[in-house]
Amino acid sequence: MTPNGAVIFALAVIAGAALARDAITLGIVLTITLIFGLGSRRRIWGALAWSAGIVLPLAAFMGAVWIGIVGRAPAEIAASLEGSRAAAAAYVAVICVRLFIVAFAIQAAFLHFAGWTPLRFVGGLAAPPVVKKLLVLTLSLIETILQAVDRARTALIAAGIITRNPSWRNLRHGWILVQTVWLTVVTIAIGRTRDKWPVEDTLARLDGALATSMAPRLGAADCGWIALVVAGAAIAWGLR
Amino acid sequence: MAEFIAGPNFSGRSAALMAWLRAGAPAFFVGPYAEAALSGLASTVADEIAIYRSGEPVRPAFAPLDFASCAARKPPTLSGGEQVLLALHCFSLSDYAAIGIDTALEQLDPQNRVDALGYLSQGAAQGFTAALIDNRLACPAGWSPRQLTGSAVDFACDLAAIDPPPCKAPVIGVRQMSFRYPGGRDIFRDTDFRLEPGQAYRLTGPNGAGKTTLFKLLAGVLSPASGGITLDGTAYAPWRSGNRIFALATQNPDQQWCGATLAEDLARRRAALAREPDIGLPSVETLAALAACLGVRSIDQHLYELPLVARKRLSWLWPLAGAMPWTMFDEPTLGQDQATRAALAEVIGRLTRNGYGVVFVTHDDEFASLIAHRPIRLADATVRL
Repeated sequence: MTPNGAVIFALAVIAGAALARDAITLGIVLTITLIFGLGSRRRIWGALAWSAGIVLPLAAFMGAVWIGIVGRAPAEIAASLEGSRAAAAAYVAVICVRLFIVAFAIQAAFLHFAGWTPLRFVGGLAAPPVVKKLLVLTLSLIETILQAVDRARTALIAAGIITRNPSWRNLRHGWILVQTVWLTVVTIAIGRTRDKWPVEDTLARLDGALATSMAPRLGAADCGWIALVVAGAAIAWGLR
Repeated sequence: MAEFIAGPNFSGRSAALMAWLRAGAPAFFVGPYAEAALSGLASTVADEIAIYRSGEPVRPAFAPLDFASCAARKPPTLSGGEQVLLALHCFSLSDYAAIGIDTALEQLDPQNRVDALGYLSQGAAQGFTAALIDNRLACPAGWSPRQLTGSAVDFACDLAAIDPPPCKAPVIGVRQMSFRYPGGRDIFRDTDFRLEPGQAYRLTGPNGAGKTTLFKLLAGVLSPASGGITLDGTAYAPWRSGNRIFALATQNPDQQWCGATLAEDLARRRAALAREPDIGLPSVETLAALAACLGVRSIDQHLYELPLVARKRLSWLWPLAGAMPWTMFDEPTLGQDQATRAALAEVIGRLTRNGYGVVFVTHDDEFASLIAHRPIRLADATVRL
């Protein structure tokens, strides 16, 4: 599979999940996504757990509001029907399954490229060089923030201001951590952009690094996966 | 010809190096810490190498480490020395014709340092030029010296005036401690050792052996997978209760600021330590006077606007303040000139004579020889006293 195929497949699945209005269509999209995950020949439990972890807070909140407090589905409210908690539960389930599919589709796409580095993946995308550079810079910023979090935690824990394990002290001083993280991000960014990048012309080197990928734009496997999505869409259309 | 830029701190060496690099730009730069040594554009070691690798090799590769084995690691998770070695490796694979190094080689262990200097010294034969700043070297053979003499007095320090109050530090016991980073090898495996107060201990081991990791475990920044720490025989878990024993001066000073200005940093640290009844908290005036001795005259100084050398000196403030009974210095002499290194060694000696415990990491044998100390060797996931 190529990065382009993975992006197209993931976007198609996300579009399918967004457009699906009933449980059957959602079930078809979910099944295709699970097959796609299994097709990576890697363990998908971590990706499933991660996706469920993202959905659970939303499910809890929506369940409390729509099932517990409102007790009716939005469509029933719009039609001035009496409604039921079962309909509200079905509404919440559809929303949550949709989000789960979106999260898992992204995870499953990355499972197909588990042995790849981010630079290789971005280099394999059929996108203009400036877009690829922006993607690399975005990833770089994310890494910088993570590095800053690590540094700021080290500083504040060593100073006794917060603790490594969860504590009330951490809740009270969380804002200091946030401030320290941003100060650190700025310091790291200045350290790079003031001396290293200008003198090396480091950003220009990305052109070469991102252009080295000779992978085809789409492969046979990509076409197979995309055909599966199209078949799923046709089945869903026929069942309506 | 390779150029060796010599002179005391604040004599303009870094500016001279940058001018040399700009004149020959594009040129490769290895600064003292990760943000000026690595590109910051790579999420993995493999990508860092890919960014700099040229199409055709133009010179032999400098490969002191097995980078293939850590290809998937994030560059910031490498130790300071490993980051410098990675930067040199990237340069050796690139097509840059010039490299400038600002004190970064001071982080390397002796063998890697010799290897790196040897590689750079062959630049003329390999088609590249080099410029180097290094406080621990006289001009290497075959290099052209460039001596700078002027020195700004704005950040002059007076370490002789520092004399921490007497202290009775507890005995540190480490029992059956094991630790590894997620997905990594064992850094410590069922390790036992004991640290006595009134002593200085020097942690030794190759780059990446776990010296900084041990500091982080003792300060509660990391928690061991098993085993624990005792103070005078009583269990102590800083990762749970907070650090109240170890004042840490980190290798990169920017890893220890708790505020934007020195005043903010002092206020936050004092508020945290005020919770601990055993700690004799120094007054703001005392700390301000100590900061002045370290070269920073105003506590309203913005920390990140200070020169790196001044920030490094200021990072010694809390270890020298006497608030905490144990002090840890991680590569304290990085970027410091001969006179400052000697003065710091003298202050560390004073700390131990006054009853504090000191643990330090340095690859600077000359500096270590100025301090009466016991070596602690880190190797094979154990600590050997």
